[in-house]
Amino acid sequence: MSAVSHRTRLTVVPSYRIAVGRGLSILAALNIVAITLTAMGRSPVELAGLIVRSTVGSRFGIEDLALFMTPLMLTGAAVWVGIRVNLWNIGAEGQLYAGATAATAIGLFTNWPTLVALPSMIVAGMLAGAAWIFVPAAARAWLGVSEIVTSLLLNFVASLLVYYLATGPWADRVTGALASTERLHTAFPELWGAVHLGFILALATVIGLGIGLAKSRFGYETAVCGSNPQAAHYAGIGVAPRILAVLLLSGALAGLAGVFEVAGTVHRLQGGLANNYGYLGIVVALLARGSCLALIPAALLMALILDTGIVLQTTQISSSAVLAITGLLVLAIAAGDELAAYVRVNRT
Amino acid sequence: MALLSDLLGHAVLSGSVLALGALGEVIAERAGVLDLGVEGLMSLGAVVAVMTVTATPHPWLGLLAAGLVGGVGAGVLALSSVVLRANQVLCGVAITFLGLGLSSVIGRSVAGIPVSAVFEPVSIPVLSSIPVIGPAFFSQNVLVYLIYLVLPGLVHFWMFRTRSGLDLRAVGENPAAADAVGVPVMKLRALAVILGGVLAGLAGADLTLAVVPVWSDGMIAGRGWIAVALVIFAGYRPAVAVLSGLLFGLVTAVGFMGQARGWPVAPAILNTLPYLGTVACIIVPMLAFAKLRSAMAAPAALGTPYYRSGR
Repeated sequence: MSAVSHRTRLTVVPSYRIAVGRGLSILAALNIVAITLTAMGRSPVELAGLIVRSTVGSRFGIEDLALFMTPLMLTGAAVWVGIRVNLWNIGAEGQLYAGATAATAIGLFTNWPTLVALPSMIVAGMLAGAAWIFVPAAARAWLGVSEIVTSLLLNFVASLLVYYLATGPWADRVTGALASTERLHTAFPELWGAVHLGFILALATVIGLGIGLAKSRFGYETAVCGSNPQAAHYAGIGVAPRILAVLLLSGALAGLAGVFEVAGTVHRLQGGLANNYGYLGIVVALLARGSCLALIPAALLMALILDTGIVLQTTQISSSAVLAITGLLVLAIAAGDELAAYVRVNRT
Repeated sequence: MALLSDLLGHAVLSGSVLALGALGEVIAERAGVLDLGVEGLMSLGAVVAVMTVTATPHPWLGLLAAGLVGGVGAGVLALSSVVLRANQVLCGVAITFLGLGLSSVIGRSVAGIPVSAVFEPVSIPVLSSIPVIGPAFFSQNVLVYLIYLVLPGLVHFWMFRTRSGLDLRAVGENPAAADAVGVPVMKLRALAVILGGVLAGLAGADLTLAVVPVWSDGMIAGRGWIAVALVIFAGYRPAVAVLSGLLFGLVTAVGFMGQARGWPVAPAILNTLPYLGTVACIIVPMLAFAKLRSAMAAPAALGTPYYRSGR
């Protein structure tokens, strides 16, 4: 028989192929953006220059990057621990709000010293985030109800409740600031400009999580549950409790993002506080693929895109354009990752 | 009585958006594709409908344009998640981002301006004079009749009584077996996703041309996601999906009524009702009736891309 050229799909894709695939997809997405901008009568080159100067090219730009990275690393980690075992927590946005609300309660209604208040904010925020995903998690674990839709719908509930609190019972009556609470009594100490302790803690959390899941029994057992629930069951690993545990962990991480956001960056609880970080966490987790540590550069890339959004806003391009650009990037990367798995083989 | 009639009328109207979105999602999911782009495509449809009727005062043209845009957007989704077989969850979320962002950018010029040409209510003689039910069900705009009476019948007939409908379901249950008997898996899946997108676009147009006649940023407010949830609630049945749209219209209407009549509950709290109701409705039946779990089960191949070499 004659040799035929044939494409086959690799189950494990070497990282250089992924890198090439991603490079090409990001390039393709940026090209589409550039063409659209040109069609709108803007100069993409000029805009690109402006963006580089005002993001990585200035002190404020770099501070902003770190501030954006802080919640993104954590929501990214929240989604990532789920994807690792085939669970999709699309509700990080809501859990972030829950965490922020818990931290705000401590920040507004107690006068504890900083050393007590900050750790209790962290604990309360993580518990609140976990509590917010508890019902979808339990329904997924024992009833097999898809966690995708249930976790997502609770985002809308959380955002409405935070809006209600910030404009109603917890509204700031002292300075008359509209639609937000008064400034929290405690804040995470600022280390470098506006960059606060939360950034370091988020970094440490991601690194700790990566090591923890790679080395611990829990990490191993959940990985087995994720890749083959039946095998896990026969090996005596209870699948349902581990599904619950992973999703609660995921919710807690997103809740932590809310704590840092409200007590480190924004200092007030207000509607729109989550700023899509929960949804963007999905993108960060996707970019990181199998590696937890890769969440850090992935969050940096996403932070760059968000920072770009602020720059675009100053040039009368709607900030929503960033959401569209993000969507385009995710689409391109998802397709690129899949295409990178195909190799040409010759068969006789 | 007038109150009940108002409540039902509002439920029918706001439920029609959910029903149409859910119907489209049933088609895509029955073919085995988890289409999470509904929210974005609805948003695009809504804004394009408004822009079209602003340019030409014909609501039908607006509807057509919205359907086309929904179809094109879903074409992108089909290309990535069906033809290229990229992860369906990611592609869907990406399309939602893209749709929400894009509609907000292109809709700036028409935001907040009342829509000039909308679908006006058409009273059906005799039926509309029935007390309570008459005004609620038979004095609605023409889209409502299409969505509740014509479309579910058509989709149901196609899905369960025709050869191509059987093929569609086969592709969602066991694509390898369907492929083996010569059913074009990829083509059917792509068509199902595009058809679902057309319906999502139309649902957006229904929202801005018949329910809330104005475009504002973020006005879809999770309706697309509720539509996705309704499909699970309806056990992937087209007629049931449309009925559950009506049920959730009722939940929305209760919140709306509460605001209009000044109930002592904050509007934000009342607005959480549809979301909480949806979550409860997809979890509680599973909890209460174990038998339902197999009857309402998702198509077996839902969410998994099909690789021919993987047979």
